Amino acid sequence: MTKKTTVVLGFLGSVLDYGGKESSRWDKWRPNLALCRFEDLLIHRLELFHENRIATTTHILCEDIIGVSPETKIHTHILKIQDPWDFEEVYGKLLDYVRQYPFDTEKEDYFVHITTGTHVEQICLYLLTETHYIPARLIQTSPPSRRRPDQEGQYRIIDLDLSKYDLIMQRIHQEQKDSVSFLKSGIDTKNLRFNHLIDQIEHVSLHSHEPILLTGPTGSGKSRLARRIYQLKKSKWQAKGELVEVNCATLKGDNAMSTLFGHIKGAFTGAIQNRSGLLRRADGGLLFLDEIGELGLDEQAMLLRAVEEKTFLPMGADKEVQSNFQLIVGTNRSLQDEVVKGQFREDLLARIDLWTFELPGLKDRREDIEPNIYYELEQIAEQQGGKISFHSRALESFLTFAISHDAIWKANFRDLNAAIKRMTTFAHNGRITLPVVQDEIERLKKSWSNGDPDDHSDVLEGLISSERLSEIDLFDQIQLREVVKVCQKAKSLAEAGKILFSESRVRKKNQNDTDRLRKYLKRFDVVISG
Amino acid sequence: MITIDGSYGEGGGQILRTSLALSLITREPFNITHIRAKRRKPGLMRQHLTAVQAASAIGKARVEGLELGSTNLTFVPEQLKGGKYRFSIGTAGSTTLILQTVLPALLLADQPSQLTLEGGTHNPLAPPYHFIEKAFLPLMRRMGAEITMELERPGFYPAGGGVFHVTIQPCKDLKGLELMERGEVKQRSVLGLLSQLPFHIIEREFQELKRRLNWEKDCFKPLMCESKGPGNVLIAELVCENVTEVFTTFGEKNKRAETVASSLVKMIRRYLSSEAALGEYLADQILLPMVLAGKGAFTTLKPSGHTLTNIHVIRKFLSVSIDLTEIDEDRTIIRIQD
Repeated sequence: MTKKTTVVLGFLGSVLDYGGKESSRWDKWRPNLALCRFEDLLIHRLELFHENRIATTTHILCEDIIGVSPETKIHTHILKIQDPWDFEEVYGKLLDYVRQYPFDTEKEDYFVHITTGTHVEQICLYLLTETHYIPARLIQTSPPSRRRPDQEGQYRIIDLDLSKYDLIMQRIHQEQKDSVSFLKSGIDTKNLRFNHLIDQIEHVSLHSHEPILLTGPTGSGKSRLARRIYQLKKSKWQAKGELVEVNCATLKGDNAMSTLFGHIKGAFTGAIQNRSGLLRRADGGLLFLDEIGELGLDEQAMLLRAVEEKTFLPMGADKEVQSNFQLIVGTNRSLQDEVVKGQFREDLLARIDLWTFELPGLKDRREDIEPNIYYELEQIAEQQGGKISFHSRALESFLTFAISHDAIWKANFRDLNAAIKRMTTFAHNGRITLPVVQDEIERLKKSWSNGDPDDHSDVLEGLISSERLSEIDLFDQIQLREVVKVCQKAKSLAEAGKILFSESRVRKKNQNDTDRLRKYLKRFDVVISG
Repeated sequence: MITIDGSYGEGGGQILRTSLALSLITREPFNITHIRAKRRKPGLMRQHLTAVQAASAIGKARVEGLELGSTNLTFVPEQLKGGKYRFSIGTAGSTTLILQTVLPALLLADQPSQLTLEGGTHNPLAPPYHFIEKAFLPLMRRMGAEITMELERPGFYPAGGGVFHVTIQPCKDLKGLELMERGEVKQRSVLGLLSQLPFHIIEREFQELKRRLNWEKDCFKPLMCESKGPGNVLIAELVCENVTEVFTTFGEKNKRAETVASSLVKMIRRYLSSEAALGEYLADQILLPMVLAGKGAFTTLKPSGHTLTNIHVIRKFLSVSIDLTEIDEDRTIIRIQD
C-alpha cells in the first residue's frame, strides 16, 4: 500500500480516558478509545503521553484499544511533568519530546489529538503544531449525542494551514488587497513595478519588525509611504506607539545628538532641562529618518546600537535607556557611495539594508500619473470643500504632456502636486480650462529647464500661494527663500532670529529678533510657527 | 475485467464482499465503482479494508484503490493459496463477514487452510458465530465440505476481542442439496450468553421466553463466558429433520431483557409459521456454495435484499441459472442449475 501511516500524538486523559476496571467502562465515552474506533479513520500508531507514572487504568485502556482496533500500535511515553498546569514546564517537556521525535512526513501522516490532557497541555500541543515543531493537523473528538448514545461520537480534523480553507483565504486575500490599497492611499496605480513593490512592502510591514530602507528620488513619496506603513501597522495592532518623523538634514551638531537620543540636564551648555529625545518618543512605534545620508557619523554609531540593542545612552547620562521602535529610513542618495566616501558607516548600512525598496520616480511610472491627478484633485476637494475637475479637452492636453518625454518630473510627486494645486487655484467655477493647463505646461517646462530643482518652489511650497508669489519681485524672492531656509533649519523662530540678526542684534537695545523676523515674513503673507 | 456498480441494491458493503468471494473463486479480476454509495459515509471503511486485505492475502491479489473512503477498487487475483491465516478486525466489523468472503474460495484451494479470526464474533449486523457453526456448517458438511470451527473466546460489541479458529479441507466437488421442506422439529433450545453483566438479565430473558414459548425447562441453557467486554446474546436453535435454523437477538444498553426475549420469540414464530425450509439469513449464506455445486434448490422466506444483490453479482461472474419462484408471501423457491 502506498498510503501513509497515520500517527496520532496526544495525552492520556487522566479523567476522560479513565473508565475503571469494571465492564461499565464500556458505557463511558473514552476519547482515546473512541478515536481508535471510527470506521472511517484508521490509526496505525498512537503516541500516548503520560504526565507521570503509568497506572493500571492505562493498561486497561491500551488493552481495550487493541481489542477494538488491532491495527493500532500504542506507544506510551512518560513525560515526567510535575505540574500539568505549569505552562513553562509542560511546553518544555513537550518541546524536548518533539525535538527528538523522528518525524517523517514523507511516510507518515500526523495528527495531534487535543481532546484530552489539561488545558495547558492542549494549549502547548496546539502551539507546537502551529509553529511547525509538530508537522501535524489537529484532531478533536467529541462524545456521542444523547439521541445516538450507541455511537462513538464524532471527530473533527483541523488543519492550521489556512490556505486549505477557501472562505478564510478569500478573506485573507481581501484584507491583503485592502492593505495594499491602503498603502497606495487608495490610488489605483497601474505601474507593474510599483504595484509589485507595494505588495512586497505590505507583506514586510506586517510580518517584520526589522528596519526598512526606502530609496528613490526626491518627491517619489517616501515620507507618504512611511506614514501609510505606520497607519497600516497601527490598524493591525502592530504599532502601539507613535510615528516620529525627522529629516536628518535638519539635525546638526550637538542638537542632532540631543534631538535624537535626548540629554540630561546639564549635559552641555544650554541643557537646562532633561530631554527625552525622538528615539525614546518612538518607543513601541515607528521612527522615520528621512535623508539618513545626512546623519553625522557619531549619530550613526549611536543609532546602530539603538537598533541592535534597543538601548542607547542619552547625552550626559550614565545609564542607558530603552526604546523598542521599528526604523524606516529614507534616502535619495546611494548609501553605498557614501560608505566609499567614508560618510556612512558600513555596519549601519548592513543593518538597515535588510529590506530595501526603491521607489521609482514619476517619469518611470507614467501610467500612474492619471490616477494620481484624480487623487490630488480629491485631496484638494476635501481640503477646500468643493469639487474641482478638468474640462475634457484640458485634461486630455495635460495628460498628453504629462506622460510625454517632455515632462521630466524632476521633483516627481512634489512637481505634480504643485502643478495640480496651481491649476485648481486658477480654475473657473470648479473647472480647469485649457488655457490654464497650457500656462501650467509652460511653467513646468521652464522650471525644469532651469536646472537646479531645489532652487524653486521647494522652500516656499506650502507657505505661499503661487498667485502671491507671482506678485513678488525676484529680488525679494531670493532673500525670502534664504530666510525661510534658515527658519526651517532652526528649532524655533527665536533661534532663527538669532542667526539671521546675529551682527545687528549686538548693537540693538531691544533685541526682539523674533518679532523682527515675524514682521518681515508677514510682508509676504508667510507664517512660520515656532 | 468484470465491472460492478457498488450502488446496486442496498448499495452497501455486501456487494463488495460477494464480488471478492466470486473473484477468488473464478480468478476473474473485477473493478467496483460507487462503493457503498447509498451509505451515510460512502466508500471503503476499515472493516472493508480488512476484508479486501484478507481476500488479497489468500488470492495473492494486486489491488488498486485500497484506502479509506475510496469508492473505486480494482482487484486482480493471481493465485489461490490455502494455508494458515490470521485476520484481525477492529471497530464494529465482524469476523464472520471475513470468513464469508474467503471460505468458498478456500474450498477450492490446493491445500487445507487454518484460519484464526479475531474481533467481533457476535455482532447485530453480521451472522453470529453460533449461526455459522450450528446452521451453516451442517449444510456445508452435507454438501461434502470438511469444515470445523472452534470458538476460543466470544467478542461482543463494542469491546470486540473475540477469537475463533476454522479448518477447511479442499473440496472440489460440492454436492447440491434439495431443501424444499424443513421437516419436523426434533430439538429446540435457547442458549443465553452472558459476559461481565449481572446474571438477572438472563433470568429475566429466560422467564419471558418460557412464558411466551411454552418450551420445556431444560431447553434454556445459560452460558457465562469469558470475553473482553460486556455482552448478552440469545441464540435459539431449531433442529429439524432436514435443516437446523438458528436465530439470534442481542441485549443492549437501555433495552429491557423482556424486549430482547420477545424479539427472539417473534423471529422463531415467523419461521415456524411459514412452510419455508430456510430463514432469510441461512438462504443468503448457502446461495454461493450451491452455485459452486452447480445445482440445488431450497425454499426460503421472502428473499432478503442481500440475497437479491448476491444473485445479481453471481450472474456477473458466472453463467449459472438462478430461478426464483414465489409460492406465497412467506415462501419462495430458489433453484440453481448449470
